[in-house]
Amino acid sequence: MIIIRGVRHGIIDIPSCAIPEGHTAVIGPNGSGKSTLLRIIAGLEEPVRGCITIGEQSPGESAVGWVHEVPGQNSLFTRVRDEITSPLRFRHLSCDEITSRAAEVAAQTGISSLMDRELATLSGGEQVLVALATAMISKPDILVLDEWDSHLDAPSSAMLQNQLNTGGVRTILQCTQNMDLAASADTIVFLTKGRVKATGTPLDVFGKCIDTCYYPPSWRWREWNLRSKG
Amino acid sequence: MELAFEGVSVTRGSYDIRVSGSFCQGINLVSGRVGSGKSTVAAMAAGILSPDGGSIHRKGISTSMLSFQFPESGLTGSTVKEEVYSYGVHDADTLAMADLSGRGEDDPLSLSRGELKKLSLACVLSRPWDLLVLDGPFEALDCRGKREVCRWIEHRRSSIVILCTHEQHILPRIDALWEFQEHTLVFRGLVPEALARWDLAPTSIKTLISRGTLPFNVSEDDIREAACRIQG
Repeated sequence: MIIIRGVRHGIIDIPSCAIPEGHTAVIGPNGSGKSTLLRIIAGLEEPVRGCITIGEQSPGESAVGWVHEVPGQNSLFTRVRDEITSPLRFRHLSCDEITSRAAEVAAQTGISSLMDRELATLSGGEQVLVALATAMISKPDILVLDEWDSHLDAPSSAMLQNQLNTGGVRTILQCTQNMDLAASADTIVFLTKGRVKATGTPLDVFGKCIDTCYYPPSWRWREWNLRSKG
Repeated sequence: MELAFEGVSVTRGSYDIRVSGSFCQGINLVSGRVGSGKSTVAAMAAGILSPDGGSIHRKGISTSMLSFQFPESGLTGSTVKEEVYSYGVHDADTLAMADLSGRGEDDPLSLSRGELKKLSLACVLSRPWDLLVLDGPFEALDCRGKREVCRWIEHRRSSIVILCTHEQHILPRIDALWEFQEHTLVFRGLVPEALARWDLAPTSIKTLISRGTLPFNVSEDDIREAACRIQG
């Protein structure tokens, strides 16, 4: 469980919020503080006021995998294989273990054929996949994904979301502008102007925005299909 | 005006990205999987990448502009206002377009990614261009922002607009559809007939076609109208 108490930082002003384990989607308009909230939870920034705990630990003490909204922003190496294996190399794991884990995570993210490419020659979407594989290779307790899906085509993002949901990571926290993807989460946190406007299950939260463009398009289609078939 | 690709190829690792065909006036949607070659085509169309093979001909095109997939990489101003000036457009109008009135003195890197994307699109779309290349314009925008950008793009129909995007739900009305098959760009045709040949078509369009109704176009209004036709 992630507990947020009295956090003020930049635009973020959250008196209290509890995010359960599982898959949580953070949604909201541009500039509402989604990325700022994720950065604080990932331990990349210390809140000016208040505190966040992840279980019994602070964010800095937790094993967090982070994917930046601008892929390549956190890259350290030029070759895909070096980038992906770097978290394990820094921990001095054996070569065999690193090789086997890299092959596994590359297959999961569909980038086995890119391992010997230079990062600079990859498309934006491919760079996201590399960042995701790098974040996943050390099997973090929490995976924080800052709008990773916006650079991906629909089949790739659906396939990867499925991999993530079944990949054994206890807590996945992601912000997205894809409401269909958000609707597949266990919990939604809807931010506006740095505050939590609504939180709960997708049904709870989206049920209150049925007349807005935040309502998941796939839900509209499902309802339309039911109506049109009588 | 016409932008013609003749037997163009670019080598990327173990494969080639191949493009042949002419982009004409109107909105040309380019669809494709991750890594298929959309940004490569965008870069070649904008003239910032030379092909390894073949040739590109610009007929009647005097001015062109590329909106980058990642606007962070194209920043030149140290304030939002300076960034707007660098495009040679009026700051107050453009800031209002981008919903950033009153934030002209802010560091552009202090904006959220969605805000920065909208700012860069407002700058690009504030001026007329013969050729306008938009690489991933909807990425990071919220649904309201996407709808607004659709309206801006639709006002540029007299230019050659090349719109490379993964967006599935909020799209402008388009004139022509192109799609990557593996790494070869294929002209699917003019809309609406081309929609039936669109492999990566949004679920809504595929559902409508499977039920015997071809939407007139790809905008939200067109999809709703086609759905109403079925419901009667």
